[in-house]
Amino acid sequence: MRVKWFSLSIITFAFVLSAGASVASGEAVEDLYRFHCAQCHGLKGMGDGPNATREMPVSPRDHTSAVEMNKLTDADIINAITEGGPATSKSSLMPPYGKTLSKAEISSLKDYLRKLCNCKGK
Amino acid sequence: MIIRRLFAAGLLSAAVLWAVPSFAGVDEGKKTFDANKCALCHQVQGPAKEKTIKDQLAKKGPELWYAGSKFKSGFLEKWLASPQPIRPLAYNSVTDRNRGDHPKLSAKDASNVAAYLMSLKSPEVKSLGIAASESPKGRIIFLKKQSCYGCHSMRVRGKMAGGLSGPSFIGAFERLNPDWVYSYLKNPKAFKPVKMMPVYSGILNEAEIKELASYVGSLN
Repeated sequence: MRVKWFSLSIITFAFVLSAGASVASGEAVEDLYRFHCAQCHGLKGMGDGPNATREMPVSPRDHTSAVEMNKLTDADIINAITEGGPATSKSSLMPPYGKTLSKAEISSLKDYLRKLCNCKGK
Repeated sequence: MIIRRLFAAGLLSAAVLWAVPSFAGVDEGKKTFDANKCALCHQVQGPAKEKTIKDQLAKKGPELWYAGSKFKSGFLEKWLASPQPIRPLAYNSVTDRNRGDHPKLSAKDASNVAAYLMSLKSPEVKSLGIAASESPKGRIIFLKKQSCYGCHSMRVRGKMAGGLSGPSFIGAFERLNPDWVYSYLKNPKAFKPVKMMPVYSGILNEAEIKELASYVGSLN
C-alpha cells in the first residue's frame, strides 16, 4: 500500500513538473512563446504570425517543420534567440532577445521549439 | 487717455481669458475622462506596475500616464475628435484586427481631454531636443541592422509596408516626441516593463538610439 502511494506521489510530482513548465521568471514557456514569438511565427509556430506579410523579404521559420528545424543545432537556436538572426547568418527580421529574456527562458524556448518540431536537430 | 486705458484693460482681460482656459482644459478634461470611464482601458497613474505577461495582457488599451511626454502637442486633440487606428491589430492581440471603434469625442471634449492627458508627464523623459530627421544612420538601423519594420509599418512609396504587431509609424512625425522615443528605447522598463518588443538598450549604443529616435520621429 505504501509503495503504491509513493509511486502515485512520484507520478503526480512528475506531472506537475512537466505540465505548465515554467522558468525562473515564473512565466510558462507557452506564454513566453505566445507573447514574444507568435507575432511572427504564429500561435502554433507554423511561421504564419501577423508580421509574416507578403512583402517581407523572408518568411519566419516554421517551427513545426522537422526538415527546417533539423538544420539547426540547439546552440544555433539559442544564438538566434539571444543575438538575433544575423548571429546564425539569417535575417535581422529575427530580433535579438538577449536583453529581454533570461538565459533560462531562452533555453526553455529552445526546448519548446524542439517539442514543436518533434526533432533533435543536427 | 481713457481710450488708451480701456484698450490696455481690454488687452489684459483678453490675455487672462486666453491663459485661464489652459488650466480649465486640464480640469475639465479630467472630468470628461472620468465621466467617460476612459480609465477602464487606459492607465493614468504611473509608474508602471506590470510584472508578468498576464499583467500586461490584462490591460485593455495603451497606458497614458506619460502621454504628455510621449505625444506631440496637437496630436491628441485631433485624434480624439477623429480616432484612426494606430495599431493595425487590436491591443495585445496577434490575431484580431483593430476594429477602429475607439469612442469619438466632440471638439470641445477632445480639446479638454487632450489638455489633461498632455499634463501627464514622466520625469524619465528629459528634454534633449532630439530633432526628427531622416537620418541616414537611423534609417540603416530601422531598415537593415534591426529591421524594425518587421513589426512597425511605415509608408513606402505611398503604400503601407511592414509588420502589423507593433504600432504603425505612419504619421509618427505628427504623433511622437523624439525625446520620448529615445527614453523608451533607452529604458523601456520604466514605461512598459513587460512588452512584446525586445529591449534594445545594451544592443544599440547611445548614438544609435539617438539616431533611431530621430528617424522614427521623422516617419510620416
